[in-house]
Amino acid sequence: MTGKNEDPGSSSTPTDTTMSSKSSVQRLPPPEKPEAVWTRFKIIAAFWAVIVFLGFPIWWKTTSIYRARLPVQEMVEWADGKTCRPVFPLEIRFETPSLPDSEAQHLLRTTQHTLDDLNEFSAHHLRLKLSEDTLAANNRDERQLHITTDGKADTALIVRLLPQDDLTSPRSELHLDTTQLDVYYPPSQIPPPSSSNPPLSAYIAGELQQLFTEEKAIIAQILSDNNAMGSTNTPASSNNQQPSRMLNSISPQLAETISRRLRRSMKYADTYHLAFSLFAPGSSPSSWDIQPAVDEYIAPLLHAFAPISNFTVDTQVQLYATFSPTAPPPEYDESQATWTLKQEDLSAFINAAEWPLSPSIGNGPTINFILYVPAPSQSPMVVKESSATSWIIPQWGGVFILNPPLSTATGAPSNPTHLSQASLGPAFLTFSHQLLTLLGAPATPTSLPFRLQTLIRIRAADLLLSASSTMGSLARLTESLPSIPIPAAVATSVSTTLSHLASACVHLREGRFQAALASARVAETEAERSFFEKSMVGQVYFPDEHKVAVYLPLLGPVGVPLIVGLLREIKRIVASWKARRAGS
Amino acid sequence: MISLFYLFLLPLVALSSAIPATSDYHESLTLQPLPQSALLASFNFRSNASEESFDERNFRYFPRALGQILQHAHTKELHLRFTTGRWDDQSWGSRPWDGTKEGVTGVELWAWIDASDDEEASAKWITLTQSLSGLFCASINFIDSTRTTRPVASFQPTGDHSISNNLHLLHGTLPGEVVCTENLTPFLKLLPCKGKAGVASLLDGHKLFDASWQSMSVDFRPVCPHPDECVVQIEQTVDIVLDIDRSKRPRDNPIPRPVPNDQLVCDTSKAYHSDQTCYPLEKTKEKGWSLSEVFGRSVSGACPLGNDQNSHDETVCLRVPHEREVSISLGALEIKKPDGVSRCYELQPFRDFDLVIPEQDATTQVPLEEPVLRAERTIVGHGQERGGMRIIFDNPSDTNAADFIYFETLPWFLRPYVHTLQATVTGRDGVRQQVPASQFIKETYYRPAVDRERGTQLELALSIPAASTVTLTYDFEKAVLRYTEYPPDANRGFNVAPAVIKVNGRDAANGRSHPIYIRTTSLLLPLPTPDFSMPYNVIILTSTVIALAFGSIFNLLVRRFVTVEEAEALGAQTIKGRLAGKVVALRDRLKGKTSKVE
Repeated sequence: MTGKNEDPGSSSTPTDTTMSSKSSVQRLPPPEKPEAVWTRFKIIAAFWAVIVFLGFPIWWKTTSIYRARLPVQEMVEWADGKTCRPVFPLEIRFETPSLPDSEAQHLLRTTQHTLDDLNEFSAHHLRLKLSEDTLAANNRDERQLHITTDGKADTALIVRLLPQDDLTSPRSELHLDTTQLDVYYPPSQIPPPSSSNPPLSAYIAGELQQLFTEEKAIIAQILSDNNAMGSTNTPASSNNQQPSRMLNSISPQLAETISRRLRRSMKYADTYHLAFSLFAPGSSPSSWDIQPAVDEYIAPLLHAFAPISNFTVDTQVQLYATFSPTAPPPEYDESQATWTLKQEDLSAFINAAEWPLSPSIGNGPTINFILYVPAPSQSPMVVKESSATSWIIPQWGGVFILNPPLSTATGAPSNPTHLSQASLGPAFLTFSHQLLTLLGAPATPTSLPFRLQTLIRIRAADLLLSASSTMGSLARLTESLPSIPIPAAVATSVSTTLSHLASACVHLREGRFQAALASARVAETEAERSFFEKSMVGQVYFPDEHKVAVYLPLLGPVGVPLIVGLLREIKRIVASWKARRAGS
Repeated sequence: MISLFYLFLLPLVALSSAIPATSDYHESLTLQPLPQSALLASFNFRSNASEESFDERNFRYFPRALGQILQHAHTKELHLRFTTGRWDDQSWGSRPWDGTKEGVTGVELWAWIDASDDEEASAKWITLTQSLSGLFCASINFIDSTRTTRPVASFQPTGDHSISNNLHLLHGTLPGEVVCTENLTPFLKLLPCKGKAGVASLLDGHKLFDASWQSMSVDFRPVCPHPDECVVQIEQTVDIVLDIDRSKRPRDNPIPRPVPNDQLVCDTSKAYHSDQTCYPLEKTKEKGWSLSEVFGRSVSGACPLGNDQNSHDETVCLRVPHEREVSISLGALEIKKPDGVSRCYELQPFRDFDLVIPEQDATTQVPLEEPVLRAERTIVGHGQERGGMRIIFDNPSDTNAADFIYFETLPWFLRPYVHTLQATVTGRDGVRQQVPASQFIKETYYRPAVDRERGTQLELALSIPAASTVTLTYDFEKAVLRYTEYPPDANRGFNVAPAVIKVNGRDAANGRSHPIYIRTTSLLLPLPTPDFSMPYNVIILTSTVIALAFGSIFNLLVRRFVTVEEAEALGAQTIKGRLAGKVVALRDRLKGKTSKVE
């Protein structure tokens, strides 16, 4: 048994002498009994056991935040484009009513071969297919824009080969209202089975290649933009070399137009609100034939867009709409006798503070179309550089300046009080064109259904990539901020997103673009929902000073005796252990 | 009985609502000098849109911003009021528009919402309040379930609604809202002429919110002049009572100056009259004023949006006796009305209009209408725990009893004891008499509060006998709020919404009854407020107590107890000495032990 150093039996003489020199009657207390030491040890151990096994877990449990498990690795892989490489195998059906099967097959094979040679962008390729039901296809009338629910791939284009006798070289014609390309060829050009590269095949391949040039360029642009935005430290995979090579091959003008159009177009949404506004700086014109104008110029377009998005339309007349006081006023151009706006000042044309252009209520962005009728004293008004009267405000809407003929019936020239449908025609044609651009539809070719199909593919790619990158951002966010809670709803949304992303990817690979768009839409909505979950930002800021202020008044006074007691016990145990080792 | 003022206004309203125009716009301004150099200006702006174009969302004169909110929230009829100040009915007489265009102090909103059940109606009501909050830059989104009631008898729809709609009336008030310029700007934006032309160009926030009393209203309702032809109507009004003297002060020098000595008119008959003392005589002349002086600007032309360019709208009307001299700017046309006390002006577009009344002797006055009922509501009692409410109704009529509906909403933290409801009646002779309240209360609708969910709703159908004053009192208890429920300015007190009184007025002309609304002033309820540094104090106090208790118990358990002498022996050793002693003792012991082993 080890005694304390107060043991008088072993007390040293120097201490005794010093003490006796001070006071001879004082004596040290008797040594502590081992039971007392043991009891003290047990007490301190009990206190610390309560702290460690009860207090600490309770504190940990009550102050910890719920963080649902997220498949972070998977999410990052989606964002980096490692999981899915979007491909666009477009199915093109050949209808050859006048050719025997074998010759048609041969023509198909050679054309496919030529096409593959021409194509530099393997993510986007055309697959030619011979129509099985050639007879039925002969009197095909229905539009191609329908959602395929079965496993079959969407048909991107129908090529009909029609012999025409009075031709020397083949010519093609794209239907304006369907996705159908008629190719007329002189019967003499039917390739013999022996030829490997007949001119007709080369012609068809060239035509097809040209039809899809813009679409390819846009998709390449989207893919390369995404790769540029995504993590830069990922090694250059074969995936992101492809689009850049494709981009290098197209003309710089086309690349410039495409990237400008991509910048201008609205983000994809389920519902767009269209708001047509008539603005006038004075009291006239105060009415317009808006309903017939919308019915004639806008409604057919919206009907065609119905598979992609929903639209609501509202219109308003706003009078006494003046320019912002800070905006530069229009200048009078003597030579043209017009009032001109400088191109660089067009951004200040909209007086956002005063013009009631509030976005519509409900989900989805608002696209504004402004018809501005200048005051009689400033009419006609044009843009200085181009003499244009309309322009697009990227991702916001379009503006059209209407200069109606002034009436001088009552002396001073004045605007008409009513705008008839005829006078609205040019404006609404411009608006419909601007709407197409703002929705991201390509400019070529002329066939509207064809452009809509292209738009479906572009949107599918766009949504797929944007949902993937949202997943990546969410993963990075949750990793960089360990103090934010992650509710279970986010985990559910993430898993929904990932599963829809996967199915969209499969649909793309199999050429079912409508279905891919539908999946990508769900993925995008869920991704946005998980990223903008309200409860995740709720407790981001809970400063440490507050915690200290709350804990310190309690933990300070309580902790000090506990820690001192613990240290003393440890010291004693160490001392006794040393003593025992020394003694042994 | 209806005031002459409204007899004059009503034909205007009737005339315009009879026109089955699909889309039209009317505006008017009525000026009426009131006693004590006050001036009542009533602005009215009304536009229609055909129901078809409204449903198609083709907005012309109807504001799109409001239209889409109404459609989104399925609101079929809407009434929104912004009011500040108190209508002084002792000196100003009965209220403009019979009180139908004014609200409680702050913001008042009630709407009929088309919904299948109460829950859906509440959800749409929330949508509506939040959207309107954004539109009007007001805290209307704070009208939550505790401030929302569903009045039973106090409000009736004024529009023509189709039977297929399942309408729910919801009513909310914000008595603490400060109405200011930021609410006026969006209000003016709803007008087709945007306050840049027409009488709306007079509306300037500096003058408007400097007024003794002002009320802005927005009313939306469907109107069907013919059964198969319906229009939606939006009516906006602004009523202000300006103090002419105050308004005429220049904005850059707004401090009132004393009248110079030589311009003072003194009562020389007073004994103490001298050069130094003066008993001022009351002015016999009526003050002169002009539109540009009182409003700071003149009307910048008519808003030329009538049905056709040649329509003649009598836009500005002035109610002064015909013999009063009034000069107007060129181009405007004056039409004197046959009633002898009002005249109207037709304005020209693009030509400014001003109206000047020079200072002149006032021989006759436009008669003011006596209000049908006076009401006053105050909180009585003292202390932090209990209080009482006292409502005084005064029926000035000597012949007719006043039948009305009294509607009040109380916040949930004010808990009324309805069984303490007592009535006292005082006749013109001044004799007070305690009577059972049931003598005046014909019907009661009472919906008790639920803590933190809804407030108390009390609707009483009362009848006050002629020439008497009835005082209703009841006691209440103040609840103690939770720490986080106090607003930042808790010591200011809590606003209690004014009571709304609907009197069934009888129309003199055709005998039809029309409602007259009276609103009491809002009240401030002082609640017991805690010291808001409390949480930290509590933490520190309890921590100290716990630490003390813990420290002493812990020390009791682990300390070793020795006698005083022993403690002195231990304590005499300094830390240094003890350390040295320990070292020596340890060495000695080690030596001793090794020697033992040896």
